[in-house]
Amino acid sequence: MSDDEEQYNPKSHKKLLQAISNLGNVQHIRKSTRDERQLQQDEFQLVKRNNTSEHAARAVGVSDLVQILRTSKHVETGKKLKNVHSSKKVLEKPLEKPAADRIKRKIGYEGVKKKLGRWDAIVAKQRSAETQIFPIPSDTIYINTAAHVKNLKGRIKSDLAKQLEASDQKLKELRKAQIGDTTDEKALAKQERELLQKKLTRDELFARRKELAYLKMRESQKSAKARMQNKIKSKKYHKLQKRQKILEQIKEFEQMQKTNPEAALEKLNALEKSRVLERASLRHKNTGTWAKNLQVRAKYDKDVRKDLAEQLSVSRQLTEKKIESDSEDEQMIKVETEASAPTDPFNPWTKGKTAKKVESQADSEDPNWRKYWTERNANEKLLAEHQADLETVKEEKQQEKPTKKQKTKSIKKKKANVTVENGWVVEEVKSSAKGQTIDDIFEKHEEDLRQKLSKKLEKLKKQAEILKQPKTKAKPLKKKRDELKNLKDLSFKKTKQRIEIDEPLNQEEEQVKPSLDVLNKLTSTEEAAAEPSADSAIDPNKVTTITVKQKMRDSDVMNDALADDEEADYDETDAAAERQLTISQAFEDDDIIADFNKDKTKESEIKNAEIQLAMPGWGSWAGAGISQEVMNRRNKRLLLKLAAPEKRRDENRDNLYINETTNKQARAHMVSSIPFPFKSLADYEASIRAPIGRNFVPETAFRMMTRPAVITRKGQVIEPMDESELLKPDRRLRHVVDRRIDRLPVKEKAKIK
Amino acid sequence: MKVKMISRNPDNYVRETKLQQHKIPRNYDPALHPLEGPREYVRALNATKLDRVFAKPFVCNLSGHRDGVACFGKHPKMLSTLATGAYDGEVRIWDLANRCSVRSFVAHDGFVRGIAYARNAEHFYTVGDDKTIKVWSSQAPEVGEDEEPVNTILSRHILQGISHNRKDNSFATCGEVCAIWDAKHNDPIKTLKWGVDTLHSISYNPVETNVLACCASDRSIILYDQREAQPLRKVVLTMKSNKLAWNPMEAFNFTVANEDCNLYTFDTRKLQTPLKVHFDHVSAVTDVDYAPTGKEFVSSSYDKTVRIYHAHQSHSRDIYHTKRMQHVVCVAWSLDNRYIFSGSDEMNIRMWKANASEKLGVVRPRERANFNYQEALKEKYAAHPQIKRIARHRQVPRHVLNAQRKMRSVKDKELVKEANVRKHSKKGTVPFVSEKRKHVIRQDV
Repeated sequence: MSDDEEQYNPKSHKKLLQAISNLGNVQHIRKSTRDERQLQQDEFQLVKRNNTSEHAARAVGVSDLVQILRTSKHVETGKKLKNVHSSKKVLEKPLEKPAADRIKRKIGYEGVKKKLGRWDAIVAKQRSAETQIFPIPSDTIYINTAAHVKNLKGRIKSDLAKQLEASDQKLKELRKAQIGDTTDEKALAKQERELLQKKLTRDELFARRKELAYLKMRESQKSAKARMQNKIKSKKYHKLQKRQKILEQIKEFEQMQKTNPEAALEKLNALEKSRVLERASLRHKNTGTWAKNLQVRAKYDKDVRKDLAEQLSVSRQLTEKKIESDSEDEQMIKVETEASAPTDPFNPWTKGKTAKKVESQADSEDPNWRKYWTERNANEKLLAEHQADLETVKEEKQQEKPTKKQKTKSIKKKKANVTVENGWVVEEVKSSAKGQTIDDIFEKHEEDLRQKLSKKLEKLKKQAEILKQPKTKAKPLKKKRDELKNLKDLSFKKTKQRIEIDEPLNQEEEQVKPSLDVLNKLTSTEEAAAEPSADSAIDPNKVTTITVKQKMRDSDVMNDALADDEEADYDETDAAAERQLTISQAFEDDDIIADFNKDKTKESEIKNAEIQLAMPGWGSWAGAGISQEVMNRRNKRLLLKLAAPEKRRDENRDNLYINETTNKQARAHMVSSIPFPFKSLADYEASIRAPIGRNFVPETAFRMMTRPAVITRKGQVIEPMDESELLKPDRRLRHVVDRRIDRLPVKEKAKIK
Repeated sequence: MKVKMISRNPDNYVRETKLQQHKIPRNYDPALHPLEGPREYVRALNATKLDRVFAKPFVCNLSGHRDGVACFGKHPKMLSTLATGAYDGEVRIWDLANRCSVRSFVAHDGFVRGIAYARNAEHFYTVGDDKTIKVWSSQAPEVGEDEEPVNTILSRHILQGISHNRKDNSFATCGEVCAIWDAKHNDPIKTLKWGVDTLHSISYNPVETNVLACCASDRSIILYDQREAQPLRKVVLTMKSNKLAWNPMEAFNFTVANEDCNLYTFDTRKLQTPLKVHFDHVSAVTDVDYAPTGKEFVSSSYDKTVRIYHAHQSHSRDIYHTKRMQHVVCVAWSLDNRYIFSGSDEMNIRMWKANASEKLGVVRPRERANFNYQEALKEKYAAHPQIKRIARHRQVPRHVLNAQRKMRSVKDKELVKEANVRKHSKKGTVPFVSEKRKHVIRQDV
């Protein structure tokens, strides 16, 4: 063995080798320890995981767990775990980071939007408020501190009080000694409680508690059920329920008939009585809330009127039934007498009779509903007939009209397609027309109105359809949702319109004309075509033309609103135009020019006028008629001759009217266009006309009307809107004026504003 | 000689109690007042004229900084305190009632970028160009002691602005990233990034306090939620926005001061079009601040003027300027809605009245009633041409006037050109684009 061999130590050699192989594995960078919480890991502190070494701890897998469980007594659990592991699908690969982030951002933004949307109502309210007070007044909470006040312990007692106390004590002791009663109620209660507690064993207590819990549960269940049932609005459900109830009652009744006939009879009587009562009651008259509501609507709606009429007729039937049974003959006579009178299908009183006439009396055995339906059908038939009749009447009249006006009405005639009936029918209607009463005229007008209404409705429907169509078309193209819709919906119309002037400040004397001119030029070409041709009849009083300023504004909201209004007004304007047309046609013969000239000469009417200034009796102190000559002379002296009237500037011009009363200087002070929030001249004029000064209105009104829009207090920090504002109930009004305004009836409020 | 005795019954003129008003026999029958309209008109005219006569908005000038004023910090509770930071790193605390600076110390190397008071106003935070956030006590140190920050936080990133949450103890800084900090930790709780180099302005929503917004150097405005791990949304405008201010009464509205001379009011829920574009400035708008009532805001501009706008109108209601005021860098509206502060390049801080012709000092009830009446009259007759002319007339510096003329002519030219193009091209090919839509380029999700 050489020295070298001797020196070779396998152990140390192995150690060396391991050290060499481990060289790469040694990590000089330690895993970072965090002393501050932070979400982001620094890239320089990332450490490689030590997987290569055998001693390093490996993460525990499911299979390991299963293995362990198999060996232990939990074999089943191990199986289950394995099953779960094998049967469940592997999660999908997560989205790429940018996509995932985008989704997160979207969700976050939606959340914030929703959160911000909570403020809509408050902001809308604040914006429409007539006066806003800052800082926003917070509600003061009053706590009754008196209830919690404790008496001072170290109270000094007077001698008298001490004596009284001592005597009281004595009395108590005496009582105890004599009767053995303890008036101390607290002690008594305590005793009782202790006794009760002693009596109950543990099981009993449990049982009692269970029972109580069960009861409580049942109660809550029942109440919940009841609440649910109360909330059900389904008519079908209620109908079914009612039917069930009736069935039950019938069953009961049948049973009773068998067992206790007397009681059954009684019940029958009771039923009969209730029916009678119901019939006698005014339930089916037009006094109920339903009927009243209908009455309001009846003015505008044909169907509603029909319903009302039906209702009335039903009530009449119900009330009349008894009489009917007594004397049928009388009725028959009545019907015969009234048959000749003109009938209105909407008059329930007459209609009932006609209906009866139509119906044979044999039908009277039918159940009520049957009768009702036959009647209704008959009514409808009648109505149709009636309408046809009316139309023929109209036709007749139109034919009667002189030829002069036929030209104007020809258009209308074309529209109405009237069926011409036989001569004899016409004759008959004529005769009835002769005996026309005011009612008939009204009826006819009503009919006209109805027709107009129905026409209008149709028109509206068509418009609505047209409006609907593009929307449905546009939907698939682009889903545009208005994010601020809620805010817009919540916003009120401002009660007090304040003029908003949103114009640049005029910094130079020369106005900002040039830009406007350009705009005008641009717009004028477009407007020229749209503008209607000037009317032949010009109102000389309207010298200045007033334009609505909103046209120039580009705010979307405003335009939308205007557009809506235009659509809404469409029909009205149409109608108005028609009306105007007819008026102008009606006054065709009148000479407008003559009138115009008359206007011109009106002012210069007092031509060469002389005014006698002498007063009767004045100067003739000795009585009347002393000397006619003197009187004449005096009268001559007192005769005031007016100077010749000034020549008008437009005297020799026939078709010119120069208003000489206007003041050029005043022109500079007059408004030429309606300022922004106002939409009509009338509104603006009204707002200007009402005075607000102390000299013209009472003090309180003055205070109310001059209240500033924003009130702030000096030296107070105005905090931003707080979350508590979201939950706040209506604030109690502090200011006297506010309270007084609040107390006013609605009408008065409208006046002030 | 006959002597006429003047005799008066004290019952006729002495009040029985202090609060008793004299009875004024008066008949309100409108027939007896045929000239009520004209009389009120004349009164309105006079009121408007007086309004302009008394319109002297400048209150005082606070001088002391030795470099341009960079930022303001409003004390959330005390109206008479204002903190200001300058370009040279100096911070001053002002006593506004006495118009003097109470404390002054150098807080940072380089610019002071932002000052924000904590919620309870016991501390305030400053950030500077030296990448530090410093916390200072609101109390001045004892005599003989040095000004030292309560805490100094070193940031990993550059800091450009700071804003404090109104309801809890967190605050946010912007710079390279938007970082949310907690008062008790020296590391940010959260950093929010969205591929932008610099965020130069940050602002917490004062109402919905988890929401905040930043203006970024890539012309965008970014919305954040303090609780979310990701930013919420980004809107890119045609030019850079310099500052952002939330409306303190309407949680979802904010206004940005833009480099293109305009301000834009947005609704957070509908960012594709601004609610309103506010014109009138002739140079980049540098700062904007809302009145605590949320009805108005004030903006400062590089054109050396301060303008006041109604929040829902596109033209300013007033303009403030003085001969000596240079580029206005920052502006603030006092929390009692009375005053406006403007800090400008030439080292001065100016205090203005928010309402130019308002009377300072005690106003007696009868005086108040009269002022109210005058206001109501002015409002009622606001549309009358003479009154409008007088009420809206302002004298402005020559350079503003010239710039305005230039801008107008440019705009007119563009309009004419567009009209011409439209006229000579196929119908419908040149669409009408509203002013609002022109300025928003895109919305990033």
